[in-house]
Amino acid sequence: MKKLLHILFLSCLKATELVEKKLHFKLSVQEKIQLHLHKMMCEACTKYEKQSIFLEKGIASISQHEPVTTDIENLKNKITASLNQNQ
Amino acid sequence: MKNTMLETWISQYTDALFRWAFHKTSSIEIAEDLVQDTFLAAAEKINNFKGDSSPKTWLFSILNHKIIDYYRKKVRQPLSLESSSNQTFFHEDGSWQQARKPKEWHEEDSNLLDDAEFRQILEKCLDALPEKWNTTVRMKYLTEKSSDDICQEMGIAPTNLWQIMHRAKLQLRDCIENKWFKK
Repeated sequence: MKKLLHILFLSCLKATELVEKKLHFKLSVQEKIQLHLHKMMCEACTKYEKQSIFLEKGIASISQHEPVTTDIENLKNKITASLNQNQ
Repeated sequence: MKNTMLETWISQYTDALFRWAFHKTSSIEIAEDLVQDTFLAAAEKINNFKGDSSPKTWLFSILNHKIIDYYRKKVRQPLSLESSSNQTFFHEDGSWQQARKPKEWHEEDSNLLDDAEFRQILEKCLDALPEKWNTTVRMKYLTEKSSDDICQEMGIAPTNLWQIMHRAKLQLRDCIENKWFKK
């Protein structure tokens, strides 16, 4: 049965690849149907998609939260110095 | 004249430029270098500055080019997609390895993304990715560029991009599952 499903439909490897394709580009109609059918039968890949979307949000939020700690005055002096050196 | 102008710009815009560069690269050191390079380039090209745009806009456009160059250089070598990474997660027939199958995270139950500790783990797992995957992922999410633009800038095919994302996500979610959700 499992084998038959893989012939008729996508493998989990292919299905999760399509999830990423979907998130970053567009799926063809056939791919949409294949992915949909696969997810109906496969809990793991359904979770993969949900978690993948969650990770995207997570990565995007990292930089917003990171506190910036650098000595701006020091940086300004460094830049001025290197400019003078180059002239 | 030129010098006073540049000096004024340095004192006025360094802060904003640095914040932007840091937001895009997540590295203090790299952000500082990029801002410095921006002013050096500005000094060289200052005769091109016609004053049609504000100095701030002009400096930011130089900085944005520097940021893209930085990422482009990092991924210049061909991106390797070892098929071995697939074998870690999938059987030969493409079905999940039992141990690597996504487990339930209940990630929506709490405001995980507001949790500093969780973000730290996520950052750690990102850093644990092979460098080129890490760069691609960061470039994708931190520069808010469209996927097509990124492919063009990095000189890779769309197929390549989503396959890199796929490999990177497999590792990333595995890392996070082990370091956070299993606890």
